[in-house]
Amino acid sequence: MSNGKTVKDVMIDVFEFPHIPYWFSIKQAIGITKKALLTSDKCLHPLIMLVFDEKYNLVGTLTLKDIIGGLEPKYLKATTKAQVPKEDESGLALLWDTLFDSEAKQAAERPVSEAMAPTKIFLKPDDPLTKAAYLMIHNDLILLPVLEDKKKFVGLVRMIEIFNEVSDAIFKG
Amino acid sequence: MFIFVINFMENSIDRHKSEKLYVQLYEILRKKIESADWVVGSQIPVEEELCKTYEVSKATVRLAILELVRQGYLIRQQGKGTFVCKRIIPEGLSMSTSFKELMLDAGIDFSTEVLAQTVMMPTDDLDVKLNVSEDQHIIYIKRLFSVDKEPILLQEAFIPRDVCPSLLEEDVANDSLFELFEKKHGIKITKVKDYLLITHLTADEGLFLGLPEGSSAILLEQHFFSGDTHIMYMRSIKQPGRFRFYIEFDRKAS
Repeated sequence: MSNGKTVKDVMIDVFEFPHIPYWFSIKQAIGITKKALLTSDKCLHPLIMLVFDEKYNLVGTLTLKDIIGGLEPKYLKATTKAQVPKEDESGLALLWDTLFDSEAKQAAERPVSEAMAPTKIFLKPDDPLTKAAYLMIHNDLILLPVLEDKKKFVGLVRMIEIFNEVSDAIFKG
Repeated sequence: MFIFVINFMENSIDRHKSEKLYVQLYEILRKKIESADWVVGSQIPVEEELCKTYEVSKATVRLAILELVRQGYLIRQQGKGTFVCKRIIPEGLSMSTSFKELMLDAGIDFSTEVLAQTVMMPTDDLDVKLNVSEDQHIIYIKRLFSVDKEPILLQEAFIPRDVCPSLLEEDVANDSLFELFEKKHGIKITKVKDYLLITHLTADEGLFLGLPEGSSAILLEQHFFSGDTHIMYMRSIKQPGRFRFYIEFDRKAS
């Protein structure tokens, strides 16, 4: 894939993705997600929302998985100290499902900052695509934000951009 | 409503001037208040004393006092007298006024704190309010205005990003949004719809305004248009007792 392309050659506009401030509730985020799913031309898979602070700094991302995880009753969240034995998982899932109805509404009032995945890894516009691929694979990420001069948020690189470049290299190269 | 044009500085009545006596007296007394010669909360001298001091009639004193009350410098308390009150910012509902202009007009020093300048999607009924599609990005600007370190106005502005994308990077602490729209970006505001109502502060709003949650406050909702385009929805929560609204009507000659 070392085709000389850099991050800025493939990155996409940040305004292709829904923006939300960190203080929005999970319920508001669900509403925006539902609307985004209906608006097919703006729905770039995987659907993800960008979470910003008061000064328009990117602080996190929110996926469907984060939203659903944010509705999970707190006491059922896995901890490193108490690993759940495999044989108990089906029963626990049933309990989780039951509690969804009664607690989901309450949990949905929590801010998205409690459910989002904080953004810690960034790319620079001039970084090679190999770096983007490496960071995604080794950090289990589906997209990476691109910052100019370590501050200005200028774009995003998704897994699909990397995949397209890889497939071009395989089939055309 | 009277509109005064004051262009003299003396502290006494000059009967040779063309200005009416009560206008001259209004200006003298106004300066006493603004220079803190008459401090906030103090009772002003009774009519007879003012007549004697400035050698004018009771009618002149009454007219000058009446205008000072109307302009928010004085407050009358039944059976007690007339007192100097906290300066109230007169706010015309004229479409051309911005908070900065009103403050400058009133000669009041104020500070602006930018609490947020970011982007969001329209939630709740914001898309309906702004007449935009649900996937439209909205620039969100939240500012707190203070006078003498006392917060008096909490303002949130929602602007469709397509209207003015660079607004996200503008200095909204020092420039009014109207100036930025009209002078810098050439977006002429042609129509404003104002809705004035009483609101009860949320915990968050109360925190910013230094008032308990549930306190009553004035809410001014404004919709700004440039031609047919809805360019901004603004929500201003005002400290009660610090603002006074007026509407000026001009009757067209028949």
